Amino acid sequence: MAPPTQTSRQDPDPFAEEALTHLDAMYGVACKLTRNPTEAEDLVQDAFVKAMRGRHQFHTGTNLKAWLFRILTNTFINKYRRGGLERSVLEGPDADPLADAWVSASTMRQLRDPETQALMPIVEREIQQAFDALPTEFRLAVALCDVEEFSYEEIAQIMGCPIGTVMSRLHRGRKLLQRALYNHALALGIVKGEERIGAAWDDAPETAKTANLAEYRARKRGAA
Amino acid sequence: MTLHECRDRARMLGPYLDGELEGAKLIELDEHIGACETCREEAKLLSAMRGSLKRVLETAPPRELRERIGSAMRAERVREARSSAETDALAAGALHARFASWRTMVPLATAAAFALWWGAASRGPQPASSVARAGDDLLAELVAEHSRPLPPDATGPEAVRKLGRYVDVPVRPASFERGGARFVGGRVMPLRSQRAAVLQYIIGTGDDAARVSVVVYDAQKIQIDSANLSPRAVGTAEVRVGREKGYSVAMAQRGGVGYLVTSDLDPENSAQLAAMVYEDR
Repeated sequence: MAPPTQTSRQDPDPFAEEALTHLDAMYGVACKLTRNPTEAEDLVQDAFVKAMRGRHQFHTGTNLKAWLFRILTNTFINKYRRGGLERSVLEGPDADPLADAWVSASTMRQLRDPETQALMPIVEREIQQAFDALPTEFRLAVALCDVEEFSYEEIAQIMGCPIGTVMSRLHRGRKLLQRALYNHALALGIVKGEERIGAAWDDAPETAKTANLAEYRARKRGAA
Repeated sequence: MTLHECRDRARMLGPYLDGELEGAKLIELDEHIGACETCREEAKLLSAMRGSLKRVLETAPPRELRERIGSAMRAERVREARSSAETDALAAGALHARFASWRTMVPLATAAAFALWWGAASRGPQPASSVARAGDDLLAELVAEHSRPLPPDATGPEAVRKLGRYVDVPVRPASFERGGARFVGGRVMPLRSQRAAVLQYIIGTGDDAARVSVVVYDAQKIQIDSANLSPRAVGTAEVRVGREKGYSVAMAQRGGVGYLVTSDLDPENSAQLAAMVYEDR
């Protein structure tokens, strides 16, 4: 059989070459989606082969990286999640008022390391686990934004949803992460349990809210 | 300011830090963060969390993944470049002419099958490391299983599936059985401190009959890294193909499961069989 490789080797495909510059990022996000390195490899391969097959649909000059990630996301949904993403989580009411609850400025300060622009090492250890526990679309939104630094518009294209939905997924994903880290810090005794002033907030009369805030701030100033 | 307003602003802290705010909104948040300690701390916590996420979640793909995907993309490009008529002719021509039934089964399983030798050219010479040597021993052990087969214990599809329990990965007869290959049976084989399943097939009849063994194993526990095998793209599969002790050997991997085809056929045919197993999963 005549091997057609001579042509292939001497004539590298510019599309494939450019696409493969995004391999590291694609693999990173695939790991976050599948939570399994082996499945991530297969997912990335499937996505690249699909991209190759559909490369004529890609308009040169537009955002190749976002296009590849869109294929990756769709491949993941079709292959691993035939029922689509978790719609109940997506479209359900904000089931978790605690996600918006506040902890005090000093507690938040205790969670991070002032030297490194990162979390305290002891809290950071928990972050992989907390991240893996997020619902898929929150995990994907946070990975695309915080790790891969896509814009909201690009994330909306990749996830096939409006920008408002991207914002809400990011907000809720980050709040869930914060809460997991806070609980971890609480369990380790790094922070002390405190009354969460936002928890029952919506039920409180407006004057009480203002009063609470004033009291809270006074307490803060006193503590500082 | 009421806490309610403050909380609304807190929801904008993400977009603020993500650089997604413009104009009046941006100025408003800037001023608010200057004045509100809680929001300022929350902003700092958010960005600390991002710093940690970036660091903790960083992953690097395994070295060979780029090569594997590159091969798959090249194969796709070549596949596309040929008309389906040419493809069929090529696929048929690529086959060993010995087996009539065998010839009919290939278009069925790998409609777009053509094999390309990138071989050593794309991978460069393989270093003769200690790992590769261990791989060669392992390969020899697997080929011995083909050359001196023990009688199978499991002959029905259900019994074959049950072999999966002993080898930690799913086992089922490959679909190339449909194409005229006769499934003989399977059994578990010990392999170093692990176990693998061996499935035996016969292709053709009488003097033309050729034996094919497919070893199914957990690719994370058993790594065959032999210098005798060169990578080659068949359809969308990357198969490693070579010869060992006069038999042809082809290996494919998918979803953490390894498939090693050993046969009395030529390497071409073994490669296509391995690709069929790959595409079947």
